[in-house]
Amino acid sequence: MDPIVQAASVFSAALAIGLASIGPGIGQGNAAGQAVEGIARQPEAEGKIRGTLLLTLAFMESLTIYGLVIALVLLFANPFAV
Amino acid sequence: MEDISPPVSESSEPSDSMQDFYRLQQELLAITLILTGLIFFPVWYFYSFNIALNYLLGACTGVVYLKLLARNVEQLGNQKDKLGKSHIAIFVGLIIVGTQWNGLHVLPVFLGFLTYKAALIVYTLKTLLNSSD
Repeated sequence: MDPIVQAASVFSAALAIGLASIGPGIGQGNAAGQAVEGIARQPEAEGKIRGTLLLTLAFMESLTIYGLVIALVLLFANPFAV
Repeated sequence: MEDISPPVSESSEPSDSMQDFYRLQQELLAITLILTGLIFFPVWYFYSFNIALNYLLGACTGVVYLKLLARNVEQLGNQKDKLGKSHIAIFVGLIIVGTQWNGLHVLPVFLGFLTYKAALIVYTLKTLLNSSD
């Protein structure tokens, strides 16, 4: 593989996973913190709160997964490799 | 200083209140497995058995991912202070195996993995339609 393409791929992979993690990371932290706070206030609603948290985390984490896929494909199955 | 936090009811049993969560978890896993079964045969028919097996591998990993995510959410606040990363490791391992193994294709494996997301959308739509009735 051309060294410039290789370097650009590694740089792009780092950017992809780094940038894709920022938003979901903040969102997941907020959601988990608020959920634990809600459980502490209303322990009788623990199941419902944890269920909603599971759904929201699964939706949020897929955004990170998209960036991760791009990064892993660039690293392990680079389409620009000659 | 006066304590302004609301009183915590002692009568509620955590095990009873968690039944909703376990029911949701079982329902999501069941919908994912049903969707996997429904999609596997058309993929086999329209593409090939090899591609269908790739899809099946991704879908099974998606079920394991969802199970691990649910376990991490269940332990959050009780046994752990933050979400675990084990489910992400499962996905990274799947994509690395999919790209490195000669018999595997990364696209059907990844699309198979996303079956759990289709199950989430189906469950959300079902809840939405039930609540509007």
